[in-house]
Amino acid sequence: MARSFNEIVQEAKEGGARKRLAVPSVKKHHLEPLSRAAKEGFVTPLLIGNSKTIKAMVGNSPLASLPCEIVEAGNPAAALQQAIALTRDGRADILLQGGADQKSFMNAVLDAKTGLLKGKLASYASVFQIKQVGKLILATDTLLNNFPGIAEKQIIVENALGLASLLGMDQPKIAALAAIEQVNPSIPSTLDAALLSKMSQRKQFGRAVIEGPLDMDCALSQAAAARKGLQSIVTGNADIYLVPEIETGYQLVQALVFFGKVETAGILLGTVKPVIPDLPFLSDDGRFIELALAAMVSNKGALHG
Amino acid sequence: MIRSLEDVSRLAKEKGPKKLAVLSPEDEEFMLAVKRSWEVGYIEPVLIGDREKMDRVAEKVGFDIGRFEKIEENDRQTVSDLGIGMLFSGKLSIVSKGQIPTSYIYRSVIRAESKAGSGMTVSVMSLWEIPGVDHLVAFTDSGVNIQPDFKAKAEIIKNAVFLYHLLGFQRPKIGVLSSQRGFRETMASFRDYKSLRKAAETGDLGECEVVEGVSFSDIFLGPRGRMKSYGEIDLNRTPHVILVPCLDTGNIICKLDLFLDVKRCSLTVTSKGAVCIPARSDMSDSIEGQIAMGVVVADRMEKEVH
Repeated sequence: MARSFNEIVQEAKEGGARKRLAVPSVKKHHLEPLSRAAKEGFVTPLLIGNSKTIKAMVGNSPLASLPCEIVEAGNPAAALQQAIALTRDGRADILLQGGADQKSFMNAVLDAKTGLLKGKLASYASVFQIKQVGKLILATDTLLNNFPGIAEKQIIVENALGLASLLGMDQPKIAALAAIEQVNPSIPSTLDAALLSKMSQRKQFGRAVIEGPLDMDCALSQAAAARKGLQSIVTGNADIYLVPEIETGYQLVQALVFFGKVETAGILLGTVKPVIPDLPFLSDDGRFIELALAAMVSNKGALHG
Repeated sequence: MIRSLEDVSRLAKEKGPKKLAVLSPEDEEFMLAVKRSWEVGYIEPVLIGDREKMDRVAEKVGFDIGRFEKIEENDRQTVSDLGIGMLFSGKLSIVSKGQIPTSYIYRSVIRAESKAGSGMTVSVMSLWEIPGVDHLVAFTDSGVNIQPDFKAKAEIIKNAVFLYHLLGFQRPKIGVLSSQRGFRETMASFRDYKSLRKAAETGDLGECEVVEGVSFSDIFLGPRGRMKSYGEIDLNRTPHVILVPCLDTGNIICKLDLFLDVKRCSLTVTSKGAVCIPARSDMSDSIEGQIAMGVVVADRMEKEVH
């Protein structure tokens, strides 16, 4: 079971052969985490783009002396197309956004016919290393889906449980967050959370336990929950925080980063191979951890089929 | 200028005691906070709620409440109406929530504002004291408006600007959040950001500035920014006020104080005074700090309004 980012790195290193990493239009700032991961021995970057430019960039970096391949592509659109194709047909194990523009990247990845979707819905999970609790925490969906309904939330939970299982969480505890801990028909998030909670009671998520609606104080603290008369194994001990919608999810991660300096990494779920979008608020350490996380997921395979 | 909760506590001692109605202090943490607030000279409490429960918790925390005005009432909505009624009739200048769901209080305030014809939108500000930031940071609306539209957001900002003017900031900076990402359709919250920025420029929101950017990343790193390490984060770029897109976002983020190294203090500013809105899970130290904030705001409103 991985309880820290170091343990994820360890698992990535112990996973056998280096994973091949498709990186379209690599930029200079990607090189540090890529070099680290290549040096640790768990990835071989395939840098896709103008080979002359890439060679000049890599030549001055530690990557020059590490396993790394260059794949020629005439322009950024072609580089992206090639990266997707390599990942889809198995010549690459992991896809990075690299320097591709985010809109083109996401559209390409999520394209129902030519993209990397495994089922109907992909989602995104942020992984946090929380020193205070000595374990890893997931939050989802913190990037992809704007306003998921109950059917989408069910898939988002299932996707997160897939990752939780690869991280070795045996009976994941999920806090379905909302503004308040009571079910209020005027606040849709409380209704969705209550339904998911009921579904979990009926074992629709296996051994996982969903409690909701929970406001953040009840989710974070058992003492706070007890003062509100709420008893649950989830309060104060959640492994997964399910956010009600993207307005909360996207900002929650960033609030933890900027106000709490909490290290984070993230990965797309529900795709045939691990996919890592390029988010501005990650540190180089976080980017390195993402590569290890993707390598670990790729090793264990189950999640991405 | 009031920059920290220490400033708040010092000023509350100086300007107190002020008369404050506590709605259902029927739990030890709330009663303890009332006791301490009285002992340090912030307040003179009027206790409204279940007499038996109030007596019992007062005894438990060693607080002789015999000398204070008490109003016996068991119905929660009536408890709230009574307290807010006293605020609006000028009998006292602060109300504080006790162990009673906040929705009762919002209902009372909304009715009272409507009756007074003030036109004031009710909203809650949750202020954070963050180490390394030289001002308090208000998340709003963290309590009332579930899915505010542009018009409601403009009013929510005006309430926050009013509070920051009271705290001594002439031109507070406002961050308007939206989770707009480049690969999805334009979100309503992003359109609101654009319109609110324009409204601020033309002075429609009072003396304030809506800063550029809609996420913490935009605010701290700039629209195309990146960072190599967290050492590059400059928290002094934090705006005074952070307008959240919806209630879920505001309430969920503002309660991260339980996890982060920050202190929280929540209140509503009505047209007639302050209403302290501690969470039902807050501990007595935190509630005491929130009462102090109520005292300071009430004091400044008295000077401003009268």
